[in-house]
Amino acid sequence: MAYAKIGVEARSGLLATDRAKVMAIRIAIIVVMLALWEGASHSGLFFKDVIPSIATLAAALVRLLSGSPFYANLLVTAGEIAAAMAIGSVFGIAVGLLLGANPFLARTYEPYIYYFGPTPKIIFFSVLIMLYGVGPGSKIAMGAISCFFPIALSTLAGMREINPVLIRVGKSFSARPRHMVFKILMPAMRVPMITGIRLGLGVAIIGTLLAETKLSNKGLGYMVIQSYNRFDMPTMYALIIVVVSIAVLLNVLIERWSRSNSSDNLGSLA
Amino acid sequence: MKVAASMNRIDVNEVSKPEPDPVLVVERVSMKFNLGEQSVTAVDDVSFSVRPGEVFTVIGPSGCGKSTLFNIIGGLLGHYEGEVRIDGSKIAGSHESIGMVFQEESTFPWRNVIDNVAFPLELKGMGKSERLDRARHFIDMVGLSGFERHMPAQLSGGMRQRVAIARTLAYEPRILLMDEPFAALDEQTKLLLGEKVMEIQQRLKQTTLLITHNLSEAVQLSDRILIMTYRPGRVKRILDIKLDRPRTADVVGSEAFGRYVAEIWADLREEATRGMSDAESARR
Repeated sequence: MAYAKIGVEARSGLLATDRAKVMAIRIAIIVVMLALWEGASHSGLFFKDVIPSIATLAAALVRLLSGSPFYANLLVTAGEIAAAMAIGSVFGIAVGLLLGANPFLARTYEPYIYYFGPTPKIIFFSVLIMLYGVGPGSKIAMGAISCFFPIALSTLAGMREINPVLIRVGKSFSARPRHMVFKILMPAMRVPMITGIRLGLGVAIIGTLLAETKLSNKGLGYMVIQSYNRFDMPTMYALIIVVVSIAVLLNVLIERWSRSNSSDNLGSLA
Repeated sequence: MKVAASMNRIDVNEVSKPEPDPVLVVERVSMKFNLGEQSVTAVDDVSFSVRPGEVFTVIGPSGCGKSTLFNIIGGLLGHYEGEVRIDGSKIAGSHESIGMVFQEESTFPWRNVIDNVAFPLELKGMGKSERLDRARHFIDMVGLSGFERHMPAQLSGGMRQRVAIARTLAYEPRILLMDEPFAALDEQTKLLLGEKVMEIQQRLKQTTLLITHNLSEAVQLSDRILIMTYRPGRVKRILDIKLDRPRTADVVGSEAFGRYVAEIWADLREEATRGMSDAESARR
């Protein structure tokens, strides 16, 4: 009986009382974490400032958000990620479409993309610095290499997911090639492509920030590592809080967007 | 076999009373596929013609080349021998006179019902308000009024197939070409949807070419039935179905209906048996 609510069964909605309980537990987790943190900071078990008190953190956060350096660096990082996504998406989608349309090319190149995709790209960072310098160039390259792989693989998967009967429907209505592409092929693969862009954005953010913390002269990652070097822990924590919040917010937005685009998948659950 | 097939062809052409020119003529169509070193003849020297306003059905066992024939007539398969003519002129590739309904799930899952039905009109470049009006008309015809804004995933399989049929009707083809359109549906839905399609067919005087392996579906819907042989697919016989119109789903209970089904089954049994023993020996 304990197994009755696993899998598809578990997807059925919760009761309103259960939903309230879930919310209460989620809030309780945050409260408990904050309490533990505050307790640890006053316990004297850690060096001063390794775990600053919540009041110190809040002050640092306010200071950070009211100063202009933060916004200048945020803009740099956001620009790097946007450029990385643009470059990675263009190449990723092009390669995915090409391999999806040509089984021979897919047979030949897919293993490389598939197995090289999950390897840590940060190892190439030193090479990228030599090629593109210490500034944003090497960060953009890092992010672009990171997001290229999931986007290429998802586009390829999307091409394979297109239901062939829909192509026959298009042909039976004498659809012209541009109608075929924009009214049938593209919409038919938008769900895996959105997934690819979501995964791609995730790794682009990781790649860019990681590169900034390694060696850079601008950006949020640079600010984090600078405050660490100054042993300015409150500011460092404030930066971590801000970066994590931005990443969570972005994920929520993309999740919303992808869900509104895949409403047709209701049927697979019913 | 060969003699019987060619005699049947004479039968078809020998009808003495004057009749209107056929809308669709399939003449001596053959199709071979190369499977590795073997070449398999899927359709062999098939000829028939479809008169305006009639429901003409091609029935045969699995593997008789029905779907190949469907794809050839619909223009989705090239490189065949023989000719397909519409109103006397030979066609190649997909043709605007032919509207196809597929056996598989074929609605666009990202479009709601009305945008699905309006799809062929959108391709023709018709303005938005006009094409939505037209689409509404055909949605009403298949009995889906009120579901215009539903997504396909929110509908049942039978409703989705009605959307697909409305979409093809909105294309206003001279010939409605359907390949096992009810194959994915349960028996009751199949009968009722068949009745609906026939009601529309009578209303529009829609020339219809139906491909099926289902005996009772064929008799319920057709004016004439072409029985195909199993591999290679040849014309075995063409049979007139003289049941009254309009026909409802209740026709399946009548005595005449039973006689037709039995008669076709007598012909099909031999072919289906050959198909079955082929399939069994392929597994050995």
